[in-house]
Amino acid sequence: MLNMRNTLLFSLALGLVVTSVEAKTSKVSNSSNLAAATAYSSNRLVQNTVTGTVSDANGPMPGVTVSVVGASGSVRTDANGQFKITAALGATLRFSSVGYVSQDVKVAGNTLNVILKEDDNALEEVVVTALGIERNKKNLTYSVQNVSGDDLRASNQGNILNALQGQVAGAQISSSGGSPGLPTEIILRGSSTLTGDNQPLMIVDGIRVNNSSSNGTVNRVADINPADIEDISILKGAAAAALYGIDAASGAIIITTKKGKAGVMQVAGTYKAFVETMGRLPRQQQIYTTGTGGTYDESSGSSWGRKFRYDETIYNNVERFFQTALTHDANVNINGGSENLQYYMSGGYRKAGSMVPNTHQDKINFLIKGTAKLSSKLSVTASANYVQNNIQEGLGGASEGGWINSILRFPLKYDILQYEKPNGEPWYAYVEEGKERDARISPMWGVMRNPRNNDVDRFIVNGSIDYKPLDWLTLNYRLGQDYTSSRYRTVTTPGTPGTYFNGRVTESNSNSRYLTSTFNATMQKKFWNDFNFSLILGANSDYYESRGPAYTGEVFLVPDIFSPNVIERNGILLTESLPRRQRYAVYGDFNVSYKNLVTLGVTGRNDWTSTLSPQHRQFYSPSYSGSFTYSELINPDQWYGKLRLSYAKVGKDAPIYKTNTNLKQVATVGGGFVVDATGGNPDLKPERTAEFEIGTELGFLNRRLNVDLTYYQRESIDMIMTPRVPTPSGFVIMTFNAGSLRNKGVEASVNAIPFKTQDFTWSTTVNAWKNTSKMLKFAGDIVRFPYTNAQLNAGKASSALDEHVLGISGTDYKRTEEGYMVIDANGYPEMDKVEKTIGNREPEFNIGWLNKFSYKGFDLSFMWDFRFGGDILNASRQGMMSTGIAYDIGQWRDKEFVFNGVVAQSDGSYIKNEKPVVLNYSYFANNYYQVGTNFVEKVNWARVRHITLNYSLPNSFATRLGVKRLGLELSAQNPFVITNYSGGDPEVNSAGPNAGGAGGASTMGVDNGAIPLPRSFSFGVNISL
Amino acid sequence: MRTIIKTFSIIFVVFALTSCHKLDLNYNPVQPVTVPSSQRLPAIQANLAYSLYSQARFASYHSYYVTTRAGNSNAQTDTWNYNNINRMGAWRWHFFDVGSNIAGPAGMFIRAKEDGDNNYIGVGKILLALSYLSATDVFGDMPLEQAYNGTFNPVYDTQDKIYEGVDKMLSEGIVELQNVSSSARSMNATADLIYAGNYSKWIALAEGVRARMKLHTANFTNNYQDLLTTVNKALNGFDDAVFKYPGKSDLTYEKNLWGPSRPNPEWQFADIRNDLETSLPTDVFMKALTVDAATGVYDPRLYKLTTPGANKKYLGAKMSEGLRDLGLPSGTVYQDFANLNNGYWTADSSAYPYMIKEELYFIKAEALYYLNDLDGAWKSYRDGIQANMVRLGVDDGQVVNFMGSTKVVQDPSKLTVSDIMMQKWVALYLQAESWVDMRRYNYSKIAYPDLYYPKFALAEWGGRYIQRFVYDPQTEYVYNPKEIERLGAKVRDWVFNKLWWAEKSTLGK
Repeated sequence: MLNMRNTLLFSLALGLVVTSVEAKTSKVSNSSNLAAATAYSSNRLVQNTVTGTVSDANGPMPGVTVSVVGASGSVRTDANGQFKITAALGATLRFSSVGYVSQDVKVAGNTLNVILKEDDNALEEVVVTALGIERNKKNLTYSVQNVSGDDLRASNQGNILNALQGQVAGAQISSSGGSPGLPTEIILRGSSTLTGDNQPLMIVDGIRVNNSSSNGTVNRVADINPADIEDISILKGAAAAALYGIDAASGAIIITTKKGKAGVMQVAGTYKAFVETMGRLPRQQQIYTTGTGGTYDESSGSSWGRKFRYDETIYNNVERFFQTALTHDANVNINGGSENLQYYMSGGYRKAGSMVPNTHQDKINFLIKGTAKLSSKLSVTASANYVQNNIQEGLGGASEGGWINSILRFPLKYDILQYEKPNGEPWYAYVEEGKERDARISPMWGVMRNPRNNDVDRFIVNGSIDYKPLDWLTLNYRLGQDYTSSRYRTVTTPGTPGTYFNGRVTESNSNSRYLTSTFNATMQKKFWNDFNFSLILGANSDYYESRGPAYTGEVFLVPDIFSPNVIERNGILLTESLPRRQRYAVYGDFNVSYKNLVTLGVTGRNDWTSTLSPQHRQFYSPSYSGSFTYSELINPDQWYGKLRLSYAKVGKDAPIYKTNTNLKQVATVGGGFVVDATGGNPDLKPERTAEFEIGTELGFLNRRLNVDLTYYQRESIDMIMTPRVPTPSGFVIMTFNAGSLRNKGVEASVNAIPFKTQDFTWSTTVNAWKNTSKMLKFAGDIVRFPYTNAQLNAGKASSALDEHVLGISGTDYKRTEEGYMVIDANGYPEMDKVEKTIGNREPEFNIGWLNKFSYKGFDLSFMWDFRFGGDILNASRQGMMSTGIAYDIGQWRDKEFVFNGVVAQSDGSYIKNEKPVVLNYSYFANNYYQVGTNFVEKVNWARVRHITLNYSLPNSFATRLGVKRLGLELSAQNPFVITNYSGGDPEVNSAGPNAGGAGGASTMGVDNGAIPLPRSFSFGVNISL
Repeated sequence: MRTIIKTFSIIFVVFALTSCHKLDLNYNPVQPVTVPSSQRLPAIQANLAYSLYSQARFASYHSYYVTTRAGNSNAQTDTWNYNNINRMGAWRWHFFDVGSNIAGPAGMFIRAKEDGDNNYIGVGKILLALSYLSATDVFGDMPLEQAYNGTFNPVYDTQDKIYEGVDKMLSEGIVELQNVSSSARSMNATADLIYAGNYSKWIALAEGVRARMKLHTANFTNNYQDLLTTVNKALNGFDDAVFKYPGKSDLTYEKNLWGPSRPNPEWQFADIRNDLETSLPTDVFMKALTVDAATGVYDPRLYKLTTPGANKKYLGAKMSEGLRDLGLPSGTVYQDFANLNNGYWTADSSAYPYMIKEELYFIKAEALYYLNDLDGAWKSYRDGIQANMVRLGVDDGQVVNFMGSTKVVQDPSKLTVSDIMMQKWVALYLQAESWVDMRRYNYSKIAYPDLYYPKFALAEWGGRYIQRFVYDPQTEYVYNPKEIERLGAKVRDWVFNKLWWAEKSTLGK
């Protein structure tokens, strides 16, 4: 019934508007029969069509919105700048386009040609902020950075987080390696916790989406198709994200997808092909063969043997392992609609290969989105996004990473490509009679025969209703669900040496959903001409649930079917998990601005969460912010200057089910139940983050030069961690409030258009940032906290009290006060037992530099990425050293050497060491690779993330081919990197983000068998119909 | 338009309804919080076998049974360097997998008390005592008083205090089992995999554990008489406490950790997996089992404890050197040694010993020896050897032969302490308790005539013998640095500091 009434109201309203127009222009009217008159005059008006062309200085402009002022609905100009709209004589048409000054023109005939002027003073730029609220950038009181969909796409990355690299000041983005199934981590303004998730909240079109990376697989936001993205807003600070309350501690990333635009239907498609090859690889020695302690020993997996003889083949296994792969990526989208109903539809298909053999991705995206304007007061938007993302990976690592360690350490006397017999059985490189279980086999066997698969079906639905009962009041209700069905499977083929020699299959399934329901009432009103008030009151419910069975099956009865159906009956272990979480929140946002001069904002949010005990489960998060546009006081037309200031304190809840202890079934003889290794902690308190931010925005030369500077200081208090704990407590892992840390830093963003003529434009953006962190407090007696998933013998990723949060701990040599190495009586350096900080994994300084050139139909963009400092713990090299295959071993082994150090004398004095020693196996094994400082490298890099050249064929040519637009694209991703790093690619993050449970937090800067980033080249075509 | 609106309204209503949940859902609906004690005990017993193994995994090398084939290759076993390990699994196996499941915040005791199952409390205390004793004998001081009270930085009790605690647990366990409540839940073979609910056997085991403990201190407390009383009590009704694995199973968790499958159960750490595959029997072991090298006559137990190597030869490798030993005949390969796999204690289906009867005979022999009852000591010594041969399945005839051979002392007056200790060492093959004995005797040639200092032990240890494990570097050094500092455990040579009973020992001098 309601629907009908609305339709009725809608037509009545339309009728009234039309009538009043009609009354002025025509004398024909019969006021006694309103309905008849309405019908009559509408009929007449429909026939009054206005056509014309909109152009700018360069010629016809497509995509300009043309609307009748005072009426609803609009059309857009086509590729030739032409439009067609119905409007009465005397009505006003409004022509608007982003970056141009809108123009109102009165209808005086049937044709109308308009020239739009470019708006150099893009002052009315609108940005999306928390809860999807669009705010005028001019009145913004905190730092928000925007990345346009086009800039994102220019990088040609499948994972949108990788595409953000260098585009956001203050975002530390590091991928776990060059394989499509590996996760990428994004940290805004430094690490906020030592274990668990440091990553910002991910919002797509107003609803929270899943960005987990369970089992070390790809982070789920990578499911979103970059082709559908309109833009991304990065809310870096707590104040910007304060309205999100919980989870806002690490900032928020607000992704807005494209939506339909009224006008002629537009169809566009792109196809891209990528060729991927290996990037920078670690080096190996090619001098010594298999053995131990200098003698040849075939049974040894080490390369500590004698020298290769001239007649022996040396296989360059690392290079032989990686391959060249092809990726296809195709996208189509359709967009259009009428004045009251707009739609956007898109489909994408990506079939990606990888330089890692037996690794590929199949991804399908389908998005449909529509907006219906039911009346001038009511509109609904709905979207549905389906994603299928199936990834198979040959290299399935452990939770600690170590993806290619087995390849790096495989002796060079064997050919890595020889791994199976012609009949498909394993070909063992070395095997002892009856001990196949402990045989040595090429890592290629595992890659080809024991891949891991992660198949995801995902369905994101989102509906929103907007009701504007009054001029100044908008009510919005939004409901969305992100449903992910994931299947993760690993297989061990029978015959694979190791524990699961008889075969094993594990699978974990989860059907998870995030259900977000939000109600917002927005009031906006202008008082006394100069004061703008806005008040938002809202409430939110956020439910998460993941349900699914998992099984592990050992011993295949039929060796080539990898299913529980052929697993020996009692070899199957079946488990089920069901995490759930409910959060509620109410919040308010009050904002007042005076002219364009001063803006003040206050927000408050109260959260209730199920993951904490009742006494701790609710908390309040306030924020206060203000901005002052001081340029308004002096020559506001000449420049732009604004000061921003904000403070916020937000809370965060605990992981699910960490307040009590469960029992779990155990796989031992006799069975029964044991205490879950993760103990419950009913005393958990919410984690708090307090952040202060000050910044300024400056604009000069008609805003052709813009500078944004920000300083922030963020303190994370009572951070919640879930690390390993001492077992005398009764548990192995526990969640507790473990301490406090601080991040502070500066961010600068400069964008400029240094050169601009009619044909040629050069625009450039530089993002530079620096973050410094400090561990302020630890619970109990802790002073140094190593991360579980990055403890690599001599060095550990760790945090130490009063030092950098992303540190490296380890041992050094004994040194005198002056810093000289102390050499023992035998001539070898003495080791120090004391573990100390030997590195800081956080870069000292980062710069992302994006350049865009456009000349006639050509567009060229490239992104430089510079990183200064930031230590890498090179565990890959350490591993290669221990097996004698590292490059340095080849350089130094068995050479005579005099250590540069001093020898202690009995009287306490020191003399210079002059004793020559031989750098033999014992030295490397018992001395060199036990010392952490030997494996920490301070790394700088300069790299080009992407170069993309686009050429749009002339319109005349395109038309001849029957299309509106035809573009060609050549692009290179990660084409080169210049670095002092001794290993492979220096962008390393071994265990990825939120390595989970007992895992540590960020393993950024830990190279533990990381798969180096590939280098790829692509060719693309895009067509608009 | 109408349909669109209608559809949306329906979707909205459905979603709005489904999005309503209460906040009290932070409990896992698919996992239990408590189960009857009978469903806790089997896993505790299985874990105790794992726990004892985790100690024996390294102790077997430190007590010279086996050494790595490659030599100078394993930092812990060849060079005695524990400075670069990330985890010490034995710490966790005792405190969590065994201890916490018995006495922790969610341990078996809680439910057993609620249900009045004091038989489970009794058995639990005896198992906990056994676990504490074996753990303190590799770690020394550790938390007892403040264990399981929730703190992350408990005070470490001195080892003598832990011994007192073990003694108390044993006594309390015995009392419970002597007074099992009639309403207590029954304990049958599915709940008790060791003794199938036979309480008197548990009581005998408790006395056996007590005897083991008293032996460690008897030399400096001069308490051999008391020890003798205890060991006699234990021998009265003692049955082997072994954890049995199924004869045939393909499942990794149903295998002995010394087995050739090298199983690694959940939460097993890579460095605990057995390495017998690439280890060799030591020369010490081979000398102990050689009756006549010239004629190639060996103790028949050699063929039971090991299996023949491919070349059917029986060489012995020097500790820490393995095949690097220059004294080995040139061209020696690993096939020239006995195969350590699939012996009586090292097959996938082998039982894992908590305590076997031979140990009690040898404890008794040692006690009587120091009480100067050589006849009694000699008898007990022979009982121990005989029991061990019978266990290993040596033919009766061979047993008689061997018992009359030169390898076994025939004249009580000629009995020496090394006769007792070497035979105990053979009987307790691969058990960590042998390392206790060796340290108790200060690695002395008086008790172990064939010992020598390993070639590849690092020079920086200054010729000292290894005495203990390090505490778990992953947790204790992180959470309890003050206590670690107080104990002096931060130094590189911490594992060369003697335990309390080794420090006080008067033996081997």
